[in-house]
Amino acid sequence: MSILDRIIGLRRNGVMGLNERNVRLVAELNPRRLMRLVNDKSVTKQLAQEANIPCPELIGLIRGSFGMRNLKDMLDREHGVAIKPANGSQGNGILVIMGPMKGGYRLANGRRILFEDLRFHVMNILSGMYSLGGLPDAALIEERVRFAGVFDQVSFKGVPDIRIIVVKGVPILAMLRLPTADSDGKANLHKGGVGVGLDLTTGVTRDGMQYDAIIDTHPDTANSLSGIQVPHWDEMLMMATRAYEVTGLGYLGADIVIDAEKGPLLLELNARPGLAIQIANRHGLRPHIEPVLNTDTSQMDAAERIAFGQEIYRSVHTEPQPEAA
Amino acid sequence: MSGQLHTRLLSLVLVLIGLGIFAHKAINHNYPLVPDQTRTVWNLEVYIEFAADNRPVRVEAFLPARSEIRDVREEQFYSGPFGLRIIRTAENRNRKAIWTYRYPEGPKVLRYRTSLIEENRQTPLPAELYEQTERIDLPFESNLERQAFIVWLSNLRRQSADEESLVELTLQEIFSANLSDEVAALIPPLPGYLGRLELARQVLQSQGVPARVANGVYLDDARRRADTTSWLEYHVADRDRRYFPSGNPTRFFPIWYGTEELVEADGTSELSTQISLQPLRLAASSMVLDAADNNDVFLRLFTFDGLPLTTQLVYRVLLTIPVGILLLVFLRQFVGLQTLGTFMPVLIGIAFRETALLTGLILFIVLITLGLAMRFYLERLKLLLVPRLAVVLTFIVLCMAGITIFMADSGQRIGLSISLFPMVILTMTIERMSIVWEEYSPSEAIKQGLGSLAVASVAYLAMSNPNVEYLMFNFPELLLVIMGLCLMMGRYMGMRLSEISRFRHAAEKNVDP
Repeated sequence: MSILDRIIGLRRNGVMGLNERNVRLVAELNPRRLMRLVNDKSVTKQLAQEANIPCPELIGLIRGSFGMRNLKDMLDREHGVAIKPANGSQGNGILVIMGPMKGGYRLANGRRILFEDLRFHVMNILSGMYSLGGLPDAALIEERVRFAGVFDQVSFKGVPDIRIIVVKGVPILAMLRLPTADSDGKANLHKGGVGVGLDLTTGVTRDGMQYDAIIDTHPDTANSLSGIQVPHWDEMLMMATRAYEVTGLGYLGADIVIDAEKGPLLLELNARPGLAIQIANRHGLRPHIEPVLNTDTSQMDAAERIAFGQEIYRSVHTEPQPEAA
Repeated sequence: MSGQLHTRLLSLVLVLIGLGIFAHKAINHNYPLVPDQTRTVWNLEVYIEFAADNRPVRVEAFLPARSEIRDVREEQFYSGPFGLRIIRTAENRNRKAIWTYRYPEGPKVLRYRTSLIEENRQTPLPAELYEQTERIDLPFESNLERQAFIVWLSNLRRQSADEESLVELTLQEIFSANLSDEVAALIPPLPGYLGRLELARQVLQSQGVPARVANGVYLDDARRRADTTSWLEYHVADRDRRYFPSGNPTRFFPIWYGTEELVEADGTSELSTQISLQPLRLAASSMVLDAADNNDVFLRLFTFDGLPLTTQLVYRVLLTIPVGILLLVFLRQFVGLQTLGTFMPVLIGIAFRETALLTGLILFIVLITLGLAMRFYLERLKLLLVPRLAVVLTFIVLCMAGITIFMADSGQRIGLSISLFPMVILTMTIERMSIVWEEYSPSEAIKQGLGSLAVASVAYLAMSNPNVEYLMFNFPELLLVIMGLCLMMGRYMGMRLSEISRFRHAAEKNVDP
């Protein structure tokens, strides 16, 4: 495929680049003062809880080295914990502990980690190693999500999650993100996770991608990626669109995990969600976003917004491709 | 989308203003767009040596005069403990340096150094010459002398057809080998040809012809000891002319006007003055400024000429930085190159100025490698972030010192240019790289490191280009253009080059089930 064909194809499919995302979506729809609400995970969690959006239970928040005293108590949970920098980005600095084991703790990848090492990790978080601009940060200790077994066939150790892109409260595209051996238990795509496009109307998986290339089986388990029904789909869409009401951000990505007992939980919100979802869905963002930008969604309730998003999805994905949006 | 329109208008206005001033200077003032390479630049050095014996010393020396048509730049003074003042003398518009010191002892040296552009017979004389048109009366000692002079002059007038031939006849008479007595009596007692030149000037002025005695050097070859000579500059029949009583130079440079000596000193003994000349074919001869219209507000406002030389040198570097930044913005927004840190590559590029490209790259890679090794070792010690950064930074300084000493021992000059290599930037780069290394992969870290180096190299090449430096320094209004371009790129919403390949699979025709 020549480069010209490629450019024409990108235009036809309405694929968006980072420049356009930054100018048209992030800068236009996400006022800077609201960014704080999602940059700090502890604030997001508080907002979500107030609005009755379920999320993983917070065990403790460590601010400053004084809070370190309680670290051991917080870590000693039978079902394990997740340690996160409150202002981290792109999944950096997140450590998942499966539970205590002899002489230390067991990590998601099965290896043992000593308490001293965990302490050091938390110290690094506090001194701002993972935060934007190196500002001092806080560490979040959360209940570990014991994810449901639905994705066991297509994930390799770690937490699979679902990313839903919401524009002005309308969910427009979604994908399932699966950890791989490469991604070290994390579902982040730039670390080697697998992204699988989801049918927004049904929540059934379609094709997959890894490292910006198309795949149809999971690289570690070799099972087919397509045709898996994501449970609680309608509930998830509702959580994602409610996140818009809570934060007011016009362009956000909601990351949701499924707990075996508690059902879907909101993991975090992202004010600058990445663009790889376009590859996972084999389609650009633009045709999905354009109708939303041209509509006043402020009068719609959550259910109407979901219906609107699904209608857009259906029209873009079933009709013959519209020429250059 | 009003933001879009606003940005476009603003950037358009900035670009237009910048280009407008630029065009005004380039077209209306013939401001050269590239460093002049046709005229030769000469290094002139005046070296004054004397002995002092605890008496207050005052040394005065003429400096090349700045005038409307020429600019003397890159002046350097080596004054030692002496106080230095620079004055302009009123009558001849000379520039004079005055060195003073109360109680000097022993042999002393004063030096002055500058770059100047040669002049030839076609070089126009400054307009200020024409201002001295008032007729002067010659100082006669007696009525007899006056009578003799008037007779002599009226003879010349009779023999000449116009002012031009009158001047020629006068000069011929004054500089002829066998002087007539009436002329000889008029010559002031000055050394060499100076007396005759001064007389010629007085006669010409008395006839309404603007003239002055110029003193300077002939530029024929590089020489350690050049002699000063004097000649006459005058303006007759709407043409600038020069009369050289000795020699027939094609290239020369006047330093001062009048009949005084180049150097005068009080309280010294064994005074000796030495002038050395050296031709330079410098591309960066920014002094070609044709300052004929220096009253133009745009020329005066957007120029660094008035600043001290050291400040000018700083701005020479500073003004090129936005060019590097512009390139960086382009490479990030349009090409999509990944770099460590936002402006880090440009800062590294500035550091390359000190070291030159290849050496800089080698140094950078060596220091980053050593620093990363140190950083991975420290990882095992579980240190807090800030102390760890401090250790890495100190280690970098240690490595730099080591490299310098090692290189100096083996006779390499690499190490000596290291001085300003930014170790804080290096330290932050190492920290960032090690995080990328661990959180993503070594290949990603190396990829970003190499991307940064590539951008740094491109930025360095652009910033150190003599044409770019010349343009930015002489046309600082181009900063507005750069600002406008950056504004425009700030609203660029198209694909980055790298994304065309990244999203290739999203570009394929969909086969929906």
